[in-house]
Amino acid sequence: MSNIKIKSKNLNVYYGQKQALFDVNLDINEKEVTALIGPSGCGKSTFIRCINRMNDVIDICKVEGNIEIDGIEVNDKELDVVSLRERVGMVFQKPNPFPKSIYDNISYGPKIHGKGETKSELDEIVEKSLRKAALWEEVKDRLDEPGTGLSGGQQQRLCIARAISVNPEVILMDEPCSALDPIATAKIEELIDELKKTYTIVIVTHSMAQAVRVSQKTGFFHLGKVIEVGKTEKIFKNPDNKMTQDYITGRFG
Amino acid sequence: MNLVLIFLITIFSLSLFFYGRSKTKSISIQNNIKLNALPKFYGYYLVLWCSIPALIFLLVWSLFEPVIIKSIIIETAANQGAIFNDKNEANLIYEKIKAIHLGTFFGDIDSILKESAISYAKFLNLFTNSKIVLIFGIVIASVIYSLKKIKNNNKARDDVELILKGLLFASSLIAILTTLGIIFSLLFESIKFFSVINIFDYLFGTNWSPQRAFVSDASKITSAELEEIKDAFGFIPLIAGTSFIALIAMLVAVPIGLFSGIYMAEYASVKVRRISKPIIEILAGIPTVVYGFFAALTVGPFFRQAGESLGLTVSSESALAAGLIMGIMIIPYISSLSDDVINSVPQSLRDGSYAIGATKSETIKQVVIPAALPGIIGSVLLAVSRAIGETMIVVMAAGLAANLTINPLDSTTTITTQIVMILVGDQEFDSPKTQSAFALGLTLFIATLILNYIAQRAVKKYREKYD
Ligand SMILES: Nc1ncnc2c1ncn2[C@@H]1O[C@H](COP(=O)(O)OP(=O)(O)OP(=O)(O)O)[C@@H](O)[C@H]1O
Ligand SMILES: [Mg+2]
Repeated sequence: MSNIKIKSKNLNVYYGQKQALFDVNLDINEKEVTALIGPSGCGKSTFIRCINRMNDVIDICKVEGNIEIDGIEVNDKELDVVSLRERVGMVFQKPNPFPKSIYDNISYGPKIHGKGETKSELDEIVEKSLRKAALWEEVKDRLDEPGTGLSGGQQQRLCIARAISVNPEVILMDEPCSALDPIATAKIEELIDELKKTYTIVIVTHSMAQAVRVSQKTGFFHLGKVIEVGKTEKIFKNPDNKMTQDYITGRFG
Repeated sequence: MNLVLIFLITIFSLSLFFYGRSKTKSISIQNNIKLNALPKFYGYYLVLWCSIPALIFLLVWSLFEPVIIKSIIIETAANQGAIFNDKNEANLIYEKIKAIHLGTFFGDIDSILKESAISYAKFLNLFTNSKIVLIFGIVIASVIYSLKKIKNNNKARDDVELILKGLLFASSLIAILTTLGIIFSLLFESIKFFSVINIFDYLFGTNWSPQRAFVSDASKITSAELEEIKDAFGFIPLIAGTSFIALIAMLVAVPIGLFSGIYMAEYASVKVRRISKPIIEILAGIPTVVYGFFAALTVGPFFRQAGESLGLTVSSESALAAGLIMGIMIIPYISSLSDDVINSVPQSLRDGSYAIGATKSETIKQVVIPAALPGIIGSVLLAVSRAIGETMIVVMAAGLAANLTINPLDSTTTITTQIVMILVGDQEFDSPKTQSAFALGLTLFIATLILNYIAQRAVKKYREKYD
């Protein structure tokens, strides 16, 4: 049994008056892919944004309860968000490369965290990240072209490479394939499979098939509550909860 | 008289709205047919048909009536033995006749004038009466025509749309034609100017002193005179002064405007934004003449005193004072435009940067500003084009002497200032001096046109990227 990397305990999140998460308890295992599924608006994004404190950006958002990474409390006011986000990278639903060159998109993070002092060190980081994101072969001859000029699937892999560039321990992915066609999706899924050897991955997805293909563990959210968590095989073959059953067979949501 | 007519036409055609609406309703009920449009469209149809032809007729008539009456009166006066040698004298006599008619003429009235005044009154009466008759005729004809149409259940909706489209088209046509008219008059006067002064002498001359050119008629200029004024119209000092002041203005406005735009877009809370944005925009609403006397009466003298206490000679009209105040005037343009541009940078880019651990200022500096850059450049260029077109401040604060200088404490002059200087006071319309104002205007126009074009291209490109 693998180690628990992230542990949330009685996590409650509010947007102003509205409560978005109710007592969420969820463990995420190290070097595994955990999929979060559930109908739209059930709080999946809200949950993963708690892990790297991205909810700090939203003024009205208030987080209560605990989230620990390797036993260290994330919600601690004293915690340095910059180094937290160095450890926990994130990939978004819509590819969002910066309006910079491909090279600068990748070297952005390392520069911010003071990694790669010399040009050759940076070059190395850029190449390694792009290779890991399975993009190197496609872009190695045009590193100084703008990242926004790539195709959607390439852009998303660029964003994954960007997340990898600072050598995080956890990668959060919020519907990373929802803007992509099946071929680009297959490439990303393959990549996720590869990445889980090195990183702990949490992926939000609306595609049951994708959850089955990429994840080892699945959590089902409904109306801000975790209804059921377990091995992906079990959740999709014989879930304990009636609601989970209904959702994965497409009867609601 | 015309006002009364317009009023009557309006009232009458508006009342037809209700008639048309109820009439078609009852027709459709009586004959049990489906109307081709909602009843109210038939109402609109009647209104438009009854008002527009009559109003257009009235407009055209009012334009031509005075011209026709005048030529008739002058002609009859001439036949009766009035003597005039040229157009001006004829005009004078006509004005006299009019004044006699109105009872405001105090002078000797001879029999010819008296006769003419009487016939003037007669013609005026005749024209007014026939105008009224014709207008009523037109209104009645169009009422009959349009009533017949709606009784036949015409496609009133399409017709109304067509008429409205025509009206809107006519309005935009007027806007375009006036613009073209202005451009062409600039162009023609400039061509006259350049037929006297070589365009290269103008573009590359370094001496601007149009007061030397008091030749009154450009077409009768002698070669000696031409030699004398040939190098009086050098454009270089003006463009240098203009650019210099614009540069100082930009040095003031770009950093302050940009930083305040960034603050508004990225840091200010909703509450602060709601209060401070309108305040900054008030700056944009202050008439430039107010800035102008502020520059001339407060800032200029302040600089001179400050300069003197440092042992510098500062003229009280200085490029520095004018540029500084102009910069302040431009701050709100840059600030509010760049605020808009920064606001429209998608949140997802910021999220991407935060998610990798960047701080707010790093994100702004390295992601948001580069993303917004084309738009920001566009807003700066728009501000530059305002700066070089600005008149009041420089007239009041920059001075009149066309010095070719790069000392900001000296007085300089700008294109706009010189246009003002040339055109105030009595002018011989045909002298090269006056015509040079048109050439300056044309040059300025072309310069701002190019700047605006580039700026709008930049902003548009930026919008396409993120919309
Ligand atoms: N910035 C916000 N301000 C206010 N309410 C928000 C905000 N973001 C999310 N919410 C609310 O919180 C709840 C959970 O939203 P969340 O985005 O986490 O759902 P989700 O499961 O990711 O949905 P989807 O599958 O559509 O992405 C929703 O009811 C949503 O309306
Ligand atoms: Mg979501």
